Amino acid sequence: MIIDVHAHPLLFDLITPGSGDSVFEWRRQNFGLYKSGITSAEFFLKVADHAKVDRTVLLPEDYSAEMGRPLISNDEIAKIVAFAPERFIGFASVDPRSGGAAEELERAFTELKLSGLKLNLSHLHMFPSDARLRPLLELCLRYGKPVTFHCGYSWEPDSPSKYSRPIDFEDIAVEYPELRFCLAHLGFPWVAETVMMILKYPNVYTDTSTVFMGSPRDWYRQIFTVDMGIDWLENNFADKVMYGSNNPRWRQERALDGLLSLGLREDVVRKITGENALRFLGMETADGTSADRR
Amino acid sequence: MVKYKTCTVETTEVFQMINITDEVSSFVEASGITDGVCYVISKHTTTAILVNESLPCVEKDIEDMFERLVPTHAPYVHTHMLPTYGTCSGNAPGHLKSAIGGYFAIMPVIGGKLVRGGAQDIYFTEMDGLQKRSFTIMVMGE
Repeated sequence: MIIDVHAHPLLFDLITPGSGDSVFEWRRQNFGLYKSGITSAEFFLKVADHAKVDRTVLLPEDYSAEMGRPLISNDEIAKIVAFAPERFIGFASVDPRSGGAAEELERAFTELKLSGLKLNLSHLHMFPSDARLRPLLELCLRYGKPVTFHCGYSWEPDSPSKYSRPIDFEDIAVEYPELRFCLAHLGFPWVAETVMMILKYPNVYTDTSTVFMGSPRDWYRQIFTVDMGIDWLENNFADKVMYGSNNPRWRQERALDGLLSLGLREDVVRKITGENALRFLGMETADGTSADRR
Repeated sequence: MVKYKTCTVETTEVFQMINITDEVSSFVEASGITDGVCYVISKHTTTAILVNESLPCVEKDIEDMFERLVPTHAPYVHTHMLPTYGTCSGNAPGHLKSAIGGYFAIMPVIGGKLVRGGAQDIYFTEMDGLQKRSFTIMVMGE
């Protein structure tokens, strides 16, 4: 099973009516997707089929304290998941600066059955040490849900990277050793810090949604075979890296091709493209199979 | 008189030749224009409108020719972040193949019918799929 753990359904037709709609332009401007068009969810799945991606994790974002409403609401994510529950895995998001954030997150887990929490602290202008995050992280722990933190460089406007430096998440790993969380985008440009985090802390993961220059093939070759020795990934943290495309910023198929072009061992490829995601998402059973496929 | 139509297509492969001859011919015949000219125009920069013989072997040779001329994996410049898009460019081969193939075709209209050679079929050609695409058919005449 191939799982893409990092995609943004911001402009899916199920939640954004049309290119003339004010929500459409508002979402584009605030997420930094300036020229993308409406994406049919049905067509997205056809493209995923072509890429051989079985399941895609959909990430919402919520900055309602300043914007007045979430960029994508939890209900909208649930609506997309309901369209193809065997293909989409929906995360929740809340604005920790808003009153009722914990209640909304609990509703997202219990009523909407969403599978994790996504936070972009750069856009929220909050450091990982911010006490307002703690109730949310504790909820994730209580419900066994993972957290994906945006990490490193952010494309989004008004999103300083200083709020999302990998090393600054270490206190969370220490304070909540059972909390599964992902430092997305390999934490670029602080990749070495991300490597330290995933190496040291058993429940800290990263994803590969990090192609910012060159082609995926060239970029991953640089990151995983030049900046790192190839044995770093294969022999040290093969269990901690997950395939993520950052779609629509990159196409799923091209990002996956870039990873596969590295010529990694077959067992490592299986881990990066699916097995690690199942464990991160809490979908792996004791015998290592996917809980939702049994 | 001018008659104009926009057609849409969902492509299912990265490179795909879609025979649109019947669609173009039907529109010409329904246009009410007896004598004039027909334009078929793609609205994209990573597709082409090709005219060639509709044989699987020819289609395969055309696809292989484009791949030889413009390999999928090569050191292209158009492979980087596009800040004005918020996405990354990664489709240089599609652009280059489109530049070679051209974005339109022209055929005469005489006696209310499209005039084309016996081996001439019209293809909307995807070069950066899978995508939702559109092309226009315009008939001008009297």
